[in-house]
Amino acid sequence: MPPVIALLRRHASLMVIAAIGTAAAVALWQKRGSGAVLEALLHAWDLFLFIAPSLLAGLLLAGALRQLLSPGALARWMGAESGWFGLLVATVAGTLTPGGPMAAFPLVLVLAGAGADRGALVAYILGWGLNGFQRLLVYEVPLLGPEFTAMRFLLTAWMPVLAGWGARRIPIAWEPPR
Amino acid sequence: MNGAQIFLWLLAAIAMGFCARRGALPVRRAMAETGQSLAKILPLFAVALPMAAFLAELIPADAASGWIGPESGLSGIAVGAVAGGFMPGGPFVTFPLVIAFAKAGAGVPQMTALVTGWAIYGIHRIITWEYPVLGWRFVALRMLAGLPLPILAGILAEAVGAVVPVTLGRP
Repeated sequence: MPPVIALLRRHASLMVIAAIGTAAAVALWQKRGSGAVLEALLHAWDLFLFIAPSLLAGLLLAGALRQLLSPGALARWMGAESGWFGLLVATVAGTLTPGGPMAAFPLVLVLAGAGADRGALVAYILGWGLNGFQRLLVYEVPLLGPEFTAMRFLLTAWMPVLAGWGARRIPIAWEPPR
Repeated sequence: MNGAQIFLWLLAAIAMGFCARRGALPVRRAMAETGQSLAKILPLFAVALPMAAFLAELIPADAASGWIGPESGLSGIAVGAVAGGFMPGGPFVTFPLVIAFAKAGAGVPQMTALVTGWAIYGIHRIITWEYPVLGWRFVALRMLAGLPLPILAGILAEAVGAVVPVTLGRP
């Protein structure tokens, strides 16, 4: 892997956010003075205090579930002949996968090696990306509120199954890279 | 603490209980992983929350109401879905920005499309993870299979909003 990608991977988010944040702070300071900047920082601190209890509980829950679950064990139900059931299993496995992209994408390779087909893998990644429980509980409920999160979850929970069904019909062959 | 937080702590306690039934080691591992996650997340929060707060102050109060406001309909949903793909990072960046947009007048269906578009089209994640780990063929397959879903999510959210009003943000 090129070192630039390795560096970007590790710190990309932090660098991008810091750059945007600094530019925004300077712009706000020029427009409305240092008082407005301080006030915005106070708002941010307020929001953090509001999120902190959910954040801690969500991380504890994710840490505990990681010891209890292993989505890879479900791969034998995700083969090309597994039909809708396989897509459903893949979606649920994705939803239960804790952690960020550094955990989820390598797991796709594990699942592919254990027999999951491309439809199930697409369903798995979308299940994780759309409705991964850790993101829902740690970030979405505290930040966007339980009402919005519940509505979005109910509206999109079935979508990975549909996308997996579609992916089985799209004529792009995919072999896991070695 | 509100109801959602109590529920979350209850779930965490139950899961930790199951860990404890398997012995001391899983409990210690779960605690250690929680600590590691916190160490990774806190620096991100330390920059992401102020960034979102500054942006929320800079964006004029009705800036979002035209393009992605509640009355913007399908075009606003499409704009939201595409904008979601360009969000520059994980949930700790995207969700505070969604709050800032909502404050500036963005509609709930449009923000549903944005969050769904971020989850499905998210370009930063494709560049840093999906392409290097799984290759462009997988990226193409998944993008094609998921292409209409963020728009669909926005349309469904609009239909739900017509029946049950849904609010976004702190209860």
